[in-house]
Amino acid sequence: MPFMTSPELLLNPVLICRNEAEKCLIETSINSLRISLKVKQADELENILAKKFLRFLSMRAEAFQVLRRKPVQGYDISFLITNYHCEELQKQKLIDFIVQFMEDIDKEISELKMSVSTRGRLVATEFLKQF
Amino acid sequence: MAEVKKSVESDNAEDILTKIENKSLKIESLIKQYKFIEAIKTALEGYPPRDERCKSANWIGVHKALMAIKDVEGMLRSLDPQYYDILMKYIYRGLSTGNRTTCDQCLKIHEKLTEKAGFGCILRSLADTVNTV
Repeated sequence: MPFMTSPELLLNPVLICRNEAEKCLIETSINSLRISLKVKQADELENILAKKFLRFLSMRAEAFQVLRRKPVQGYDISFLITNYHCEELQKQKLIDFIVQFMEDIDKEISELKMSVSTRGRLVATEFLKQF
Repeated sequence: MAEVKKSVESDNAEDILTKIENKSLKIESLIKQYKFIEAIKTALEGYPPRDERCKSANWIGVHKALMAIKDVEGMLRSLDPQYYDILMKYIYRGLSTGNRTTCDQCLKIHEKLTEKAGFGCILRSLADTVNTV
């Protein structure tokens, strides 16, 4: 957040990649930090599901407090944690929340994909019964 | 005066590049002799250079040494603590490459190194904006 006025207050950004498709960018400064995630998207369907699901979450960013409404360029979702959040909320719980989020996101998208395929199959079966 | 200083600096960069290339050859020969710990020590020695090209050249040598390591525990046991900070910086550089094998190896080393060196090591690699690798 002191980005435009004092660049000397920014620390080195850290980019951690699990592989070519998934990465996590952590940009820190003295009073805040921004965590951006790029989730795995193996095919077109996962791409669309991920985008819609994460947009759904980002639109409701106020409810999460630490979520950013718009993800950083090149990533799917971003968190912005400021010193105010650390005063109000417990730091350890915040860390647990973010780690839990990362663990659950892959599971959620796989579940969504499966339910889309199942529904598609059911609809197609019903529709083709009339022929 | 500024021009003279600039030409001196670029000469230094050329010198440093040659030194780094020699270091790279030494690292490769040490790896071939299965002396992985010596290789990583050679790679981590010396002050990280200022110039971007030198940094990239240095990174290539360190990368070779890092990928050759099989016994991470043993390597960390025999490494001097003074090298922990610089090793952590190189590990973060490795993690940012996105290459699957590099990232796997770097994550392995990162876990063991954090156990040994603690969170302070990580924070120092974040906070040191002057001596970056």
